[in-house]
Amino acid sequence: MKKRLLSLGLVAAMVLSLAACGSKDSGSKTETADVPTIDKLNPEDYKDLKADIKILTDRTDIVDTVYKGYADEFHEKYPNITVTYEGITDYAESVTMRLTTGDWGDICFIPATVEKSELSEYFIPMGDFNTLDSKYNFVVEKTYDGTVYGIPNGGTAGGIAYNKKVWADAGITELPKTPDEFLADLKLIKEKTDAIPLYTNFSAGWTMGAWNDYVGIASNADADYKNNILLHTKDPFTKNDEMSGPYAVFYTLYEAVANKLVEEDPASSDWESSKGMINNGEIASMVLGSWCVQQFKDAGENPDDIGYMPFPITVNGVQAAASGGNYAYGINNKASEDNQIAAMIYVKWLLEESSIYDDEGSIPALKGKDLPDSLAEFDGVELLSDNAAKEGEESLYDDIRNTAEVLSGDYPVCEVLEAALYGNKSLDDLMGEWNQKWTSAQESFGVEVE
Amino acid sequence: MSNPKTNTQAEKQPFKVWFTSRKVQKRLVIFTFMFVPLLLLLTFTYIPFAKMVQFSFYNMKYLGERTFVGLKNYAEVFARKEIFGSLLVSLYYMAGGAVQLALALFFATMMVFKVRGESFFKATLFFPYLICGIAIGFIFKFFYARGFVLDTILQAFGMELENIPLWLQDQSINNISLAATSVWRYTGQNVILFLGAMMSVDTDLYEAASLDGANRWQQFRYIILPSIKSIIVLNLILCISGCLSAFEPPYVITNGTMGTGTYFVIMNRIAHENQRVGLACAMAIVLLALIIICTVAQKLFFKYVFTDGNSDESKAAVKRRKQEEKMRKKAMKGGAAS
Repeated sequence: MKKRLLSLGLVAAMVLSLAACGSKDSGSKTETADVPTIDKLNPEDYKDLKADIKILTDRTDIVDTVYKGYADEFHEKYPNITVTYEGITDYAESVTMRLTTGDWGDICFIPATVEKSELSEYFIPMGDFNTLDSKYNFVVEKTYDGTVYGIPNGGTAGGIAYNKKVWADAGITELPKTPDEFLADLKLIKEKTDAIPLYTNFSAGWTMGAWNDYVGIASNADADYKNNILLHTKDPFTKNDEMSGPYAVFYTLYEAVANKLVEEDPASSDWESSKGMINNGEIASMVLGSWCVQQFKDAGENPDDIGYMPFPITVNGVQAAASGGNYAYGINNKASEDNQIAAMIYVKWLLEESSIYDDEGSIPALKGKDLPDSLAEFDGVELLSDNAAKEGEESLYDDIRNTAEVLSGDYPVCEVLEAALYGNKSLDDLMGEWNQKWTSAQESFGVEVE
Repeated sequence: MSNPKTNTQAEKQPFKVWFTSRKVQKRLVIFTFMFVPLLLLLTFTYIPFAKMVQFSFYNMKYLGERTFVGLKNYAEVFARKEIFGSLLVSLYYMAGGAVQLALALFFATMMVFKVRGESFFKATLFFPYLICGIAIGFIFKFFYARGFVLDTILQAFGMELENIPLWLQDQSINNISLAATSVWRYTGQNVILFLGAMMSVDTDLYEAASLDGANRWQQFRYIILPSIKSIIVLNLILCISGCLSAFEPPYVITNGTMGTGTYFVIMNRIAHENQRVGLACAMAIVLLALIIICTVAQKLFFKYVFTDGNSDESKAAVKRRKQEEKMRKKAMKGGAAS
């Protein structure tokens, strides 16, 4: 009897102690009334503000060098505010988990897993959309209900990185404008040079996921396509006569692989060494966002050989490239008010005064600044950004692609390459499967299909 | 019942005496020592597990709202070919596991008889087990890469590069390549386990056996094998559950592409790339159920198919004897009652 009582007490004590752990975060505060928005913020008003803020980043390679430099430069100007960077490998997954706790730091790059409707649960508003949109690029990406919750530190354009010398050696004088022209050029390169025409970087995984980014603007030249049209299209992966749309993007990959215009053994490709290989002319082209250009230039002795061209799809005579924001800065809504203001000052300083665009070769966040040199070839190309989704459909794109398991993650694109490599599935069959998955996802969310 | 008694005791004795009494101290020690490990076990094992069971009934992401969907996730696990079918890939790892156990038994038996440089061999064989799985993945990624280690070695033996298969791309061979890395990694661990069991066999037995004219094979068959039966069964169970949950080689080396996606790799992809946490949790629970079924099936198999080598009578004989005893007892009891 006594024994049983004792054990009962033991269990009770444990349950109580656990309950105590659990209830801690329910009383967190979310008041942000006194934090000025980024456009109204005047850093001079807060000269006496003392704060230590922490900022999370995925760039573990430069967190202790370049980023620490920004923090030091900022500290000289605002001696009372100390900024510490924390580099996180496996960023998106770890930060997604940490966000749920509320106690992760003050500024982070908002991971893609946070849907727009959930932004207000984790981050403070940075200002009104209409006001900020006239001042900064790409704010639409983290806007919900007319309020901006995050601003990217810059942006990239989607296109193809290539080695100018190799392309010239193959006798190509004009950049391709359609998938078939591009494939013909790749064949020329294979015949006339020793370079690998198109390096897929298959084994790194995320490099394959990059192909998903060309489905919106690059393949349709329409800023509404990704967030508004694609969701309501019946069978969006079907082939069309003009060779545009999502089909054309994956056709380019499929045909390049099927015609052996890629590396011999994609399964043993290596991302780190591919940077040097494109620099010294062993690789002719790679399909990646424009952020890669600076890294390719830095990887060897021929920085001037690296060029960047738009994705070869022409719609009604127009070739367009998507420009989109990098990771956006978000400020923790559970941090103390002083920290929130200090964080806002730091973000404003990074966006407007730091040298971060030059260092990363990205499109500046502040409107009216010059495009980076890497986008020089983009003359005559329309640089568009995705328009916002309709009200109430802000999260729909993510919901549908996650449920359909298409256009999200790396694996679906890998599937295209595998189908072409083994020749066991035609592109039309594969795209048919994707259409089916897309349709059933549309149905599960009750989307109207036109 | 005992309450009044303790109360009067407590009144009579001052608290200090009561508190320092052997009985109270004993319980206090038990309580305090148990509390921490039990708390850790509960927080890091049982509560997360209960949460996972709960999640498996929801359609949910890591963030955002959740909707209850009942058994729909489980239905999807069984309905989708690429999920449930990925268990077939485990067969490669199970075949690898059989090779691994056979190799380990062979090496262990070699070493149990006096060998020169025994500890050197032991250390060499065990070393791969000490390297972390991710590092092994990277080692073999380059080992199998086109024109790298393995291809160079084969070329040194006179093979032409064109005749060497693409180890990770060729679908008739890539799962074997991956399973081989597991064999390389775990054989040493099995050798050590077997060796430990074999060491506990009385050496007089070998001597007596060799006096009787038994050769090495006979010694192995009739002395070693029966004595280490329980360790072999244990290793087999560990091996099968390990094969079903193979993750590191396909994740690091091929990321589950080109037909090498094991159940775990697909689970990881569904949970993290597609953010379908509920479905992934359901997959995890189905896998757990499978592992339990396999383990129980194995246990039963060994219990009924193989006789216990140590005893003189077979399982069936033991059963018969026990039954007879029971009958006899029953008869005696019946006699007493009447």
